[in-house]
Amino acid sequence: MTVASSGTSPLSMSVILSVTKDEWRYWMRSKLALSVLVIGVLLTLGSVIVTSIQMIELNHQRQSLQNNAEDTFVDQPDRHPHRMVHYGHYAFRLPSPLSMLDPGVDAYTGNSIFLEGHRQNSAMFAEQRQGTALTKLGSLSPSFIVQMLAPLLLVLIGYSTVSRERESHTLSFILGQGTSVGSLLMGKALALFFIVCLIMAPLIVSSVFALYQGESIAIVISFLLGYMLYLIVWALVILAISSVFSKNSESFTSLIFLWVLLCIALPRIASTTAATIAPNPGKLETDFAVIAELRKLGDGHNANDPAFDKLKASLLKQYNVDSIDQLPINFRGAVARNSEAELTQVLNRFAEQSMAKELEQTLLARHFGWLSPMVAIRSLSMINAGTSIETHHRFLRETEALRFDFVQALNTVHVEQLDYQIDINRSNDEASSRKARVSAENWQVLKDFKFEIDSPSTRLSRSVSSYLQLLIWVAFLSLIIKNIGRRLQ
Amino acid sequence: MSQLVNSITREWRFMLRQKYILVLLLCTLIVTSFSIFSGIKEVSQQHQTIERLKQADLKDRSEAQAKYDDVGSLAYYSFHLSYSAPSNLAFAALGERDVYPWKHRIRMLALEGQIYESDAQNAELAQAGKIDFVFIISALSPLIIILLFHDLFANERNSGRHDLLVSTSISSFSLWGARSIVRFLALFVCLMLPFYIGAAISSVSVTMVVAISAIVLVYMLLWTLLSIWWAQKQNTAPRIASSLIGIWVLFAFIIPILGDLAINHSVHSPKGGDIVLTQREAVNDGWDLPKEATLKAFVETHPKYKDNLVFKNTWAWNWYYAFQQVGDQTAAELSQAYRDASLHKYELAGWVSLLSPPMLVQRSMTRMAETDALAAFEYEQQIRDFHKALRMFYYPFMFGDVEFEKQALNEMPDFEVIKTHVSE
Repeated sequence: MTVASSGTSPLSMSVILSVTKDEWRYWMRSKLALSVLVIGVLLTLGSVIVTSIQMIELNHQRQSLQNNAEDTFVDQPDRHPHRMVHYGHYAFRLPSPLSMLDPGVDAYTGNSIFLEGHRQNSAMFAEQRQGTALTKLGSLSPSFIVQMLAPLLLVLIGYSTVSRERESHTLSFILGQGTSVGSLLMGKALALFFIVCLIMAPLIVSSVFALYQGESIAIVISFLLGYMLYLIVWALVILAISSVFSKNSESFTSLIFLWVLLCIALPRIASTTAATIAPNPGKLETDFAVIAELRKLGDGHNANDPAFDKLKASLLKQYNVDSIDQLPINFRGAVARNSEAELTQVLNRFAEQSMAKELEQTLLARHFGWLSPMVAIRSLSMINAGTSIETHHRFLRETEALRFDFVQALNTVHVEQLDYQIDINRSNDEASSRKARVSAENWQVLKDFKFEIDSPSTRLSRSVSSYLQLLIWVAFLSLIIKNIGRRLQ
Repeated sequence: MSQLVNSITREWRFMLRQKYILVLLLCTLIVTSFSIFSGIKEVSQQHQTIERLKQADLKDRSEAQAKYDDVGSLAYYSFHLSYSAPSNLAFAALGERDVYPWKHRIRMLALEGQIYESDAQNAELAQAGKIDFVFIISALSPLIIILLFHDLFANERNSGRHDLLVSTSISSFSLWGARSIVRFLALFVCLMLPFYIGAAISSVSVTMVVAISAIVLVYMLLWTLLSIWWAQKQNTAPRIASSLIGIWVLFAFIIPILGDLAINHSVHSPKGGDIVLTQREAVNDGWDLPKEATLKAFVETHPKYKDNLVFKNTWAWNWYYAFQQVGDQTAAELSQAYRDASLHKYELAGWVSLLSPPMLVQRSMTRMAETDALAAFEYEQQIRDFHKALRMFYYPFMFGDVEFEKQALNEMPDFEVIKTHVSE
C-alpha cells in the first residue's frame, strides 16, 4: 500500500491471470474449498438428473391421460347432445421443456381440470397435496439448488479471497510487486467467475436438452444468462465484503449473515407481505357473487324460464313464425346455447378478476427483487421456464376456451340435429328417450388439446423487470468494489 | 453464586459492546416480530373469511329453499358450507393451510366429483413459502446460533488472548459458560418474546405455550451444544462455522429431500384423476343403464329401502340421486386407497423427520397447531361425514315413504354439530 504507483498502473491481462491462477492454486490446496466445490457440482448434477427424469415421466403420463380423455369422449355412444355437455372432458397441463430445471408452481397447482357445461371447475390434484411436507424448506430442483445453495458454496469457497491477504499482511507485498489493486480485484473476480461457470455447467448441458425438446433458443439463453447474472451478483458480494474486512472471520460472518437474509429470510418475507397486503378472497367467496349473477340469467335447462322470453320473441321474429313448435330449429337447444354464452361471460368476468388479484399479489412479491437478488432470479427463472403463475393462468384460460368450444358445438348439434317435438317428449317412455339421441359422429366436435406455454417473446418481456433488478445489483456492487479498491491502495 | 452473577453481568456488558452480535439479535427480533404479526393477521383474515362465508352461505341456501318446494330440487339447488377454522396456535404455525383447502361447499351430488375441488391460495406464493414462527425456529434459529457461538473460542485464540484469558480467569466455565449463557438467553428472548405477545393476543393455553417453549429450548440447546462442542475441536472460526452450516444443510435439506424421494418411490397410490374419472363414468352410465341396475346397486348398500323402492319409468329425482350414490360407491375403493396412501406417506415422513431435527420441530409444532396434513385429512373426513349426514336426512323422503314437508328443512344437519360429533 505504500507504493503509490501501484494504483495507477494499467490493468494487465497477464497480471490478472496470474492472480486468478494463484487463487485457484490456493483453493486446490484447501481441503474445505475443494470439498465444497465437489459437493456443489455433484449436488447440482444430481438434481438436474433426478428432476429431468421426473418431469419427462410427468410429461408422458399427462400426455397419455390427455389422449385417453379425448378417445373416451369421441367413443361415447349415440346420445342426447346435452348428456355429452354434462359428460364433460378433461384437460391436462403438459410441463414445459425447461420445467426440468425449474418446476415452479407445477406441484402447487392442480394439473388436470374437468371441463363441463355451465361450470368452471378449478384445477385438481396438486401433487403437493399428497406430498410428505418434507420439502417444505427446499426441494431437489436444480433451480432451488442454484438459487439457494450455490451462493452458500460460493461464500464458503471465496469468503477469504481478499481478507486473507489483508489478515496475513501479504496484500502490501502483492501491491508492492507492481500488481495494481484493479488487477488484483479483477483476478480474484475472474477466479470466482470460473467457479460460477463450474456450477453453471450442468444447467447448460440440460438446457441444450431443453432446446432439443423444442424450447426456443432465445429463452434458453435468457434463462442461463439470468442464472449467470445471479451468481455473478454473489461473486461480487463476496468480493466486496471480503475486501471491506481485514479479518477472515469478520468477512465470513458478514457473508453468511447476508446469505441468510437475502436467500432464506427475504423470499419468504416477500410472499408473506404480498399475502398480507393484498389478501385474495379465494374462489369460494367470489362464487357467491357468481351465483347471484347467474340467478338473474335463468336456468338453461328450463326453456320455460321467463328469462328466455326475449330470446323466444327474437327467434319467432327471425323465422317469421307464431310459435316455437313451428321453428325450424330446436328451441330448447337455442336456450341452452344462449344461456351458456351469457353464463360464460359472467364466469369469465369473475375468473379474470380473480386472476388479476392473484397476479397483483405475485407482482407485489416480485418487487422484493430490488432487495434480494434471489427473489429476482426466482421470478426470472420461473417466467422463462414457463412455470410461473402467468402460465398457470394461461392454462386456465385455454382450457376455458376449449370448454366453451365443445359445449357450444354440442349445443349447436342440439339446435340443428334434434327435432324439438322428439326432444320435449324424451321422458315419456323408454322408446321416446332412445329416439331423442344424435349420432356419435357428432362427438368429433372435440378439438385436440395440447397445452403450450406463452410465446418466447411474451416470456422475455415479462422478465424484463427481473433482469433490471439483477443488472442494478451488478452495477451497484461494481461501484462499491471500485470505491473499496480506492481505499485499499 | 455471586461469582456467576458477576461474570454474567460482565459478559452482558461485553456483549453490548459487540456490534455484530447486537445487529444479529436485532434482526432476529425484527424478523420474528414480523412473522408473528403477519401470522396473526393471516389467522384473523381466515376467521373473517369464514364468518363472511357463513352468512353468504345461509343467505344463498335460504333463497334456494324459498324458490323450490319439491325435495329433489331443494337438494339439487342447496349448497352447504363446511370449513376448518384455524386454531389459536395457528398464527405461529401456518403449516399446510396454503396447500390444502380449509373451506368447501358441497351439495347432494356424488361427493367424489366435488371433494377435490380446491380453493387454494396463490400457488407462486405457496411455492416460495411463508415466514412463520415455526420456520424461524426450525430453519433460521440454528443459523443464528451458529453465527453466535462458532467464534466463542476461535477469535480469542486467534488474537492470542485465549491462553491469557484462561490463565487469569478463575475457571474456564465462568468465562465461556457465562458468555454462552448470556448469548443463549439473549437469543431466546429475541425469539420468544414476540411469540409470547402473540400467544397472549391469540389466547393460546398456558400448557401449549409451555410445550412450545420446551421444544424451542431443547432445539436451541441441541444446536448450541453442537456449536460449542465443535468450536472446541477446530481452530479457525470460519472452518467451524462451515462444518456446522454443512450439518444444517444436511438436516434441513438433504435428509428430508432424500426421504421425500424414497417415500414417493415406495408408496404407490392411485392417481387422483382416476378417482374422478371412475366416478364420472359410473354416474354417466347411470343415465343409460336400465334403471333396475341402479336400483340393485343402490339397495345393496341401503337395504332398508329394498321393498318399496321403485323408479318411475320417466325421469325421477330419486333415480337421479340413486345413481349419484352409486357413482360414489364405485369410486369408493380407489378413493380410500388414495387417502390411505396419503396417510401412509405422512406416517413415513414422520420416521424421516426423526433423522432431521428441523423437520421434527416443524411436524410437532404444526401438529399442535392443527395446521398439518393430518388436520387437513381430518377436515376431509368431516366433509365426508357431513355429506353422509345430508344423505341420511334426504333419503327417507326420496327413497322411503316419508312425506316431505318444508318444515322438515329445519331438521337439516348442521356442519358445526357433525364436526364436534366426529371429533368426540
